[in-house]
Parts: sequence; C-alpha cells; structure tokens
Amino acid sequence: MSEAPKPDGKALERFRIVMLPHLDAAYGFARWLTRDPVEAQDVAQEAMLRALRYFHAFRGEEARPWLLRIVRNTWSDMRLARSGERVPLDEAESVVDAGPNPEQSALAGDRRRQIAAALAALPEESREVLVLREIEELSYKHIAAILDLPIGTIMSRLSRAREKLAVELGGRLGKE
Amino acid sequence: MDCPTCEAMVESYLDGELPAGESARFEAALAECPECGAKLERLQTQRALIRDLPTARAPDLLRARIERELRVDTPVPVSVPVPRVWPRRTALAASLLLAVGAGWLGGRFIGREGSRETDELIAGYLRVGLGDRPVEVASSDQHTVKPWFAGRIDYAPPVHDLTASGFPLLGGRVDVLDGRRIAVLVYRRNQHRVALSLWPASTPGGAAPQIGERDGFAIARWRHAGFEMRAVADLAPKDMSLFASAVDQAIDGGR
Repeated sequence: MSEAPKPDGKALERFRIVMLPHLDAAYGFARWLTRDPVEAQDVAQEAMLRALRYFHAFRGEEARPWLLRIVRNTWSDMRLARSGERVPLDEAESVVDAGPNPEQSALAGDRRRQIAAALAALPEESREVLVLREIEELSYKHIAAILDLPIGTIMSRLSRAREKLAVELGGRLGKE
Repeated sequence: MDCPTCEAMVESYLDGELPAGESARFEAALAECPECGAKLERLQTQRALIRDLPTARAPDLLRARIERELRVDTPVPVSVPVPRVWPRRTALAASLLLAVGAGWLGGRFIGREGSRETDELIAGYLRVGLGDRPVEVASSDQHTVKPWFAGRIDYAPPVHDLTASGFPLLGGRVDVLDGRRIAVLVYRRNQHRVALSLWPASTPGGAAPQIGERDGFAIARWRHAGFEMRAVADLAPKDMSLFASAVDQAIDGGR
C-alpha cells in the first residue's frame, strides 16, 4: 500500500466530522461481511485507517457509500491475504446474535436471531447486496458503486437474494 | 400494463427506484394484479423483518483506537527533526528518537516489566476513559474521596483537588495493578481524563517524572513523597508534565 502523507490537523478535523459518524455503519457492514464480531473490528479499523489515508481523494460525494466501499475492499484484501480460514457456516450462525435487548421478550429475541442467522447463511454475493439495500438503505446507484458492478447486475442480484432469503426464512421461522 | 410488465417493476417500486410517472402507472396496474400485489406484500414483510434487527454499534474499544489515530501529533519541543509521517513500522524508532531528543525516558526504556505495567495502566485508563462509570466515588471534594479508600485498599493515598492548576478532581476508583489493589484518582483536563495511580513506594527517595508515550497515550512515572506515581492520559506530554508538577506541589503544600 502506498503511503500518502498523514493528513494535517484541518483534514483530521474534517475527517472526524465527515467520516467518523459512519463508523457504526462501517462496523455493521463489516460484521455482516465477516460474520464475526472480532474480525469485523479489524476490518472496520483497517478501513477507517485507509479512508483516512485516502481522504485527500474524497471529493465531497456522499460519505457513507464512499466509506462502505473501502470497507468492502478491505475485507476482500484481508480475506485474500489469508484465504482458506473461512468461518464454517454452522459457526457463523452462532456468532450472529441479536444484540443486547434485555427489555425484549425472549420470543422476539429468538425470532430476530433466526432472521439474522438466515441472512448470515446467504452466500456473500446475496448477503452484501441485501445488507446494503435493506439495512444501509442505499440506492441502486450507490450499491453499484460500492460493489463495482453495473446497476442491472445489482437489480438481478438483489432479486435473487430476496428469493434466497425467503427460502431461508421459511425454513427457519416455519420450524417454530 | 400486463402482469409481466408490472412484475418486473415490483422490486424497483419497493426500492423507490421508479421515476415518479412510472410509479403512478405501476400503482394503477397493481390494483388489477393480485399476484403482484401479493408479491409486493411479501417483500415488504421481509424488509420489515430485516429492519427489525438491532443496529450494530461500533464497540468502544474500536472507537477508541480510531480516535487515537485521529489525534493530531502534538508538536513537542525537540531539536531533532521529527518526521511528519509516522508509518507504523517507524513509529517505534520515531518515538525513541523523540524521547532521546527531548531528554525523556519513555516507557519503552523500562524494559519488559515496565511494558507489562504499561499495558495494565493503559487497560486501566480505558476503563476510566471509556467506561460508563469512570469513578467509583464521584466527588471533587478531596475530603470525600480520601476517606472512601479506607477499607478498600491497605494505605491512605494523598488526595488533592487540582482545579487551581487546571485539573479538577473527578473522583476515585480502585483498580488492580500487578495483582495489587491500588488507588486511582481521576482528574479532568478540558475534555480529557487523567488517571493517577499511586501506591506506597518500596524504594526510598524521589524520582523526577519521566514521560513516555505509548499508543497515543502519555504516561508519566515518578516517585514523590513516598509514593510511586503513574499517570495516564490522552494528553500531550507537555500537559502531562504540568499535571505531574501540580500533583507534587499539592502534596508538598498539603503537608
């Protein structure tokens, strides 16, 4: 990786205002990509550092898609660097918890866990496009930019992903 | 509009990607196409299920690590040229250079034992700096904080409010360092917190503050008035130096 000069104080301040508010989104997306809370932290941290390093190239477009694209590239690179150590699916399901919701009933928590597990079980190609559309609520145009694909491909992937999720959900929620 | 046409539009409609005119046409066609109506409903239900999932929140430690990267490298009065760019690989060399140039002995010089102590101090500082309860006794009154330690640790630490020097006392807590329960006093400097850990010294005499830097935190070590002192904060070394002198002066004045 090339070393761009570390931004000066003014750029750091701007980064703090423009990019830092999207740290939760970066971590959340990383979490769905990695399906592992610890690995997600590494990806999100590395992505933020890369974003900082390349912040001089940020031209005032929308910050969240810009950052999420870096998150996805970071994940691709990190996975490539140590390919072969994939998290098996069974394990992946157990790491997706529904988050702390003490006030929620156990039933709702369990239902959410099932939904999270169904989403986590999807192949990456389906998972990432669904997360970007339904959780990050991004437009086709932004998703296309993040995944570096034509809008038509995004539409067909999204459609397939929704069908797959419906099957997964049917299998899980139907069992209740 | 026939069904294949409207079916092809269901998802774009759901996603708000149809142009306004098309949207109206689709809505009109939908009324006459129960199949597409049902499909839209299924997709809306699926969306509601996904959006009902709790939103991920970046863990505090991740946020802290990034905050540390975002801190401007504070200029330090040194005669040696300090590289502006600090890639990770050269950071160690650079901080050693800095420490030597400024006449400070950094935490790294203390050796393995010191480095483990440094780890524990920084972990303790994160509890102070990030925890929901930075202090167990919250008071700016030294006469409230000092007695609070009685029965919780086996010595009585000197407690002084340092508001006059720009470091108001926030309170205190008990932490564990190297297996021993110790007193930690928490002070504030602007928006930053300073954690001062102190315990009775086993070596006689004083030792002037040595200020080191680790992971973006300033760490001061010194011995004064029979106590080993360790202060950690996300402050510039210069401010840490001020803090150490303020502590010493308060102890000397309070005798």
